[in-house]
Amino acid sequence: MPDAFNMDNIPFSLLNEEERNLLASHLDIGYYQKGENVITAGEKPEGLFIILKGRVSESEAADEEDENGSQHIFVHYEDEDYFGGWSAVRGSAIHNFVAEEETICHVLPTRTLLDLIASNPQFADYFQQNLAVKREIVAQHGGTQDMAEFMLAKITDATVREPLVVEQGTSIKQATELMRQRKADCVLARRGGRYGMVTGTDLLDAVVINEKSLDTDIIDIASFRLITIDHEDYLFNALVMMTQQQIERVVVMDGQSMVGVVELTDVLSYFSSHSHVIGLRIERAATIDQLREAAQGLNDLIKALISTGVKIRFTMDLLAAMNGRIISKLFDLIIPADMQPHVCLIVMGSEGRGEQIMKTDQDNALIYRENLVWPEMQETMNRFSENLISFGFPPCPGKIMVSNPEWVNSVGDWTQHLSDWADTCEGNAQMNLAIAVDAKPVAGNEALFKVARNWFLRHLRNNDVFFSHFARAAVEFDTPLTFFGNLKDKGQLDIKKGGIFPIVHGVRTMALEHRILKTNTFQRIETLVEQGVMQSQHGSDLTEALALFIQLRLRQQIKRAEESQEGQDPTPNQIDLQQLNKLERELLRDALHVVKGFKKHLATRYHLGG
Amino acid sequence: MIIPRTIRRYKERREHREGPWAELFEPYKGDEVVSLDCETTSLDVKKAEILSIGAVKIKGRKVITSDRLDIKLKPPASLSGDSIKIHKLRASDLADGIELEEALPKVLEFVGNRPILGYYVNFDVRMLDKFLRPEFGFGLPNKAIELSHVYHDIIKWKHVGGEVDLRFDTIAGKLDIPILQRHTALGDAITVALMYVRLKYGETPRNIY
Repeated sequence: MPDAFNMDNIPFSLLNEEERNLLASHLDIGYYQKGENVITAGEKPEGLFIILKGRVSESEAADEEDENGSQHIFVHYEDEDYFGGWSAVRGSAIHNFVAEEETICHVLPTRTLLDLIASNPQFADYFQQNLAVKREIVAQHGGTQDMAEFMLAKITDATVREPLVVEQGTSIKQATELMRQRKADCVLARRGGRYGMVTGTDLLDAVVINEKSLDTDIIDIASFRLITIDHEDYLFNALVMMTQQQIERVVVMDGQSMVGVVELTDVLSYFSSHSHVIGLRIERAATIDQLREAAQGLNDLIKALISTGVKIRFTMDLLAAMNGRIISKLFDLIIPADMQPHVCLIVMGSEGRGEQIMKTDQDNALIYRENLVWPEMQETMNRFSENLISFGFPPCPGKIMVSNPEWVNSVGDWTQHLSDWADTCEGNAQMNLAIAVDAKPVAGNEALFKVARNWFLRHLRNNDVFFSHFARAAVEFDTPLTFFGNLKDKGQLDIKKGGIFPIVHGVRTMALEHRILKTNTFQRIETLVEQGVMQSQHGSDLTEALALFIQLRLRQQIKRAEESQEGQDPTPNQIDLQQLNKLERELLRDALHVVKGFKKHLATRYHLGG
Repeated sequence: MIIPRTIRRYKERREHREGPWAELFEPYKGDEVVSLDCETTSLDVKKAEILSIGAVKIKGRKVITSDRLDIKLKPPASLSGDSIKIHKLRASDLADGIELEEALPKVLEFVGNRPILGYYVNFDVRMLDKFLRPEFGFGLPNKAIELSHVYHDIIKWKHVGGEVDLRFDTIAGKLDIPILQRHTALGDAITVALMYVRLKYGETPRNIY
């Protein structure tokens, strides 16, 4: 029934007209009494169930030995939630789905579900990812769906740590040193074909409480009663196992061979978000390849964060931190240790401001100590840029990268550049300067960067002519509003020119004038408000407007990146107004009015009239 | 000539036992029921014309909405202002409708010899009979199930004395059934089907007052 079945909910909203008709014509309606099994574990489910009315719980198959029948309920499904898709695709259900109250469900037969999966890759992605790999676009339904997503995650989705294995005869001291070295907090001791586990606590107990000598064979304190789990099992089962046994790690097995160890913290962090796992992987990467792998996980994290509705500012902060860690880790891996104290790597532009979410370009530069002798410097920098590109940071179209010798400077040259740019009113110089003043040091010797920055800020003091020139760019582009204050374009809108850039640049100018060291636009606004330069109402309006622009842009970027073949977004700054709903269009209009007001304010303040 | 329905049915069965529609007259052995609803121009069988016919099958406790009948007919001359207010079908909405002659075989084929369920089902059956007879020489021989009777039979034991409110919306409300597309033939047929399944398999509704 077209109007009883809500096609606006994800993932059905991903279907096209024809597919929707197919779906609508194959829907049945099922009625279930309270307590009745909608899907029984082990049986073949009829298809995908979408609740029209009622409430269904998903629970573990009742254990026959478990007399008291205390079933573990994983999750409840209610209005318009759907369930059973994974079971349908797989052919048999693992859990019981029981109607908790009288329930009416739409039923989409498995065959139609499979047809739709075959015909619509996005819909398929949604399902298969959601069901098997678990990283794509998560439904925007908040808690329950998240929970469901977690429930379906397999062991291999989380971080399975490579175990630290030592042979029989290793002393406690040696083992402890190894653990320290490999940053592991447990060790597996091998005796013949068997493994015994020794945790940090075991070591402490052995040495401190039982007063064993440091030369004791590690085998003596190892526990050979290992709790294991199959690598194909649900992550959730690992958590249940850990809770039941009161342990913090289980050994992952693939048949008879050991794959690794899953720790409680990993499981919990997978649950809270995937970010911690990626962070951990970045931190532990010992080679460039490992780091690349970790870096590529970031895109999935972005999608997960966006679709679960995490606040855009939080997402940006988190990603800026992650990107920073990747870059500084790469720096550690490529730049020889003896050179690291003499150079400083800075990121600039949107990355420097910590406002880059989808990686659109890389702007970075190197500042080195005066008279540094390092013949291979440029060559190393080329390698650095290449690797960064292979990590998925696209090259900067303006060649603002360390592989370009113009952006590898001694402290003196760098300050000279800055002041030259500041004295020229020509467009390119102004743009370079705009990018450079958002610089943030990420690796190496920060002092080198600070010296240059502080000198430059002093240099600009009271230079009204400079600020007037610098601010002009912010008001250059028209705000896309009509004379009557409505949205100008019916179709496309360049949100960067129309909304983001004026705010970012205007705030940048004011921050520079007031020598605010923060580079993030939101933080700059906060500081400007704190210093009394900006009214707090204006500050929060600008913050809201900017967050809205970024969020709308991001959503369409993700969509376009998925649709395009190369996974890149060809027109990152376009907003398609047709895709916005009425409320969003209204919000956008209001936000653009804020921009208009801000531009007027800038014009008065920096005498930009005419 | 007024022949009581049962006698007439008996007579028609004999006449058509060998005809192309013979299986309609077989006794039904399956577990399916067809929920059927017609939208008409009037509530007077003599004057009324059919505008649309909707039907779904019910199998056990499932309403098979994927196997359904949704027929729009050509607008009759008698399509007037009063009924338009109820079913909201204007002549222009029925512009792509089909002729009744085309529709009737479809209905017969869909229904087969299954019992027909409806809300005031006699009205719908009599409406269809009115047009079937001149065309085929028989009326619907199917067993009819009246939803409000099913409801009443269950409710009356809980509610001694007084009238039971048998209005469509009241029943749907008491049974806590979402009303889908009220006053479209198919929508009503589905809602009735859901109410039936609910009455047949669910618990007796409690707060019937």
